[in-house]
Amino acid sequence: MSADAEPLAEVRSGKTAIIPENGVSGASLALVIGVLAFLAGIALTGFFAVDAAVSNWSGELTGSVTVQVRGMTAEEIASGADDAEAILLDTEGLSEIRRVPRSEAEELLEPWIGEGNLPQDLPLPVLITADVSPELRADLSGLRTALSDKVEGASLNDHSAWTDQLIASARRIRALTFFAFVLVVLAASSVIVFAARAGLAAHRNIVEVLHLVGATDGFIARQIGNRYLTLGLVGGAGGALVAWLSTKSLAMVTRDAGGFLPAFSIDAKTALWLVVIPLLLGGLSTISARIAVLRALRGKDAYVA
Amino acid sequence: MVNDPTSQAIVTFDDVHLTYDGAREVLRGCDFTLRHGDFRFLTGPSGAGKTSLLKLIYAAHRQSSGRVEVFGHDLAEMPTADMPKLRRRIGVVFQEFRLLDHLTAFENVALPMRVLGISPNSYRDDVVELLSWVGLAHRIDAPPTVLSGGEKQRVALARALVSKPDLILADEPTGNVDPVMGEKIMRLLLELNRLGTAVIVATHDLGLVRGLKQPILRLKDGKTNLHAPIPDEAAKEPAE
Repeated sequence: MSADAEPLAEVRSGKTAIIPENGVSGASLALVIGVLAFLAGIALTGFFAVDAAVSNWSGELTGSVTVQVRGMTAEEIASGADDAEAILLDTEGLSEIRRVPRSEAEELLEPWIGEGNLPQDLPLPVLITADVSPELRADLSGLRTALSDKVEGASLNDHSAWTDQLIASARRIRALTFFAFVLVVLAASSVIVFAARAGLAAHRNIVEVLHLVGATDGFIARQIGNRYLTLGLVGGAGGALVAWLSTKSLAMVTRDAGGFLPAFSIDAKTALWLVVIPLLLGGLSTISARIAVLRALRGKDAYVA
Repeated sequence: MVNDPTSQAIVTFDDVHLTYDGAREVLRGCDFTLRHGDFRFLTGPSGAGKTSLLKLIYAAHRQSSGRVEVFGHDLAEMPTADMPKLRRRIGVVFQEFRLLDHLTAFENVALPMRVLGISPNSYRDDVVELLSWVGLAHRIDAPPTVLSGGEKQRVALARALVSKPDLILADEPTGNVDPVMGEKIMRLLLELNRLGTAVIVATHDLGLVRGLKQPILRLKDGKTNLHAPIPDEAAKEPAE
């Protein structure tokens, strides 16, 4: 067997693409898809970060209640606090009941009055915190009534007034990030549709020959669409990788800021979704290109020699 | 007679008109029938409508009025989705070859097989045999860009034949090749016809028409008329 037998066998195997690659324009398109994949990755990471924050806040703030006992004298406050604590202990659905020590209460006031400026005989309100079960959380009216009826100066705070606003705002941000993700994906689809139509026009002579030898529109659409699968996968993988590195570095920055910036991290779910982006863009590119080609060819005598 | 397959019409034109852009009428009532095993030269001056007539047969155009039947199907009523099946039964050869430059001679000939989704193992030998038949066994892996005009036309002919069509349409197949190669290509078409394939060759080369002594479908003033083979003396008259 001659030395060039293997290359000839390869050529005759019928693997050469019927519609050739675009070369430079293909690379440019992969870059555009990569940029869009990066933006999609950032939007998706933002979505999951806000989603995690909403879950944490919802769990932490709506899972606890605070009882505040006020009075004119320290004795009156201490007595009221004892009574309130007793009521809390008798209430089913409460756990981790804890009276905030005076030292902690003073620390809370220090930003306003300074360290050591608080008179020891000043009657500070007593705070009692407790974890609340979802069942009791659903209806706190009984506990609220018991406290106000039996303990003078006692009030129950379930944080709902501001947690609801905070969570509603966070949910709006979450919806916005998801909307941004959808827009980026739609932009990627539009770019592919445009490119597929341009590719069809550029390879008009090939498409005419294919029609001539009996190719269906579906066959031609597959030949063109399959090229965009690779392009979407490669571009999408590159963009998603850069998005992952960017969010990773952002997570390091927020961690090193020592609480100045809100904590940001990438969990396994987010990382998994970043892997999904190239697959999503690959599939979307293929389908978009096929549909674009089919719509251009269908029902017309165009592209027939 | 009824059951004789050679009597069956492959192509029937019945008062066929074709108008471009609603103004320029190219065909003005063409009537003819082509049966299995027929060979026809389609002659007429440049611009007479030879290419347009061939395009009507392989459904690249649709007639403005009249009836075109191919393999028993009325093309006016044939759904677009069924056109590929029709075209697979027709091999078309063009003056300008229409080969794909990024594919080799082998791959160009194999293209109709790939379109049908046939495994390369099933058609490899047939393609090689066809390329040998047209005298291009040594050029099997050459791209069209390095082939001569005559070689390109023979590759195009092999591509038209690979799916074993019932009808071959050749539009000025010798227009871009030298006279010797032109005659060789025409001999191949004639040999193919002897094996039972119907052939229409559009040409304005009366020398070619004279040499092969086959019936002529003459296109003049938008109408077709069937003529007997041209005697040698007549071919000496000025070309149309």
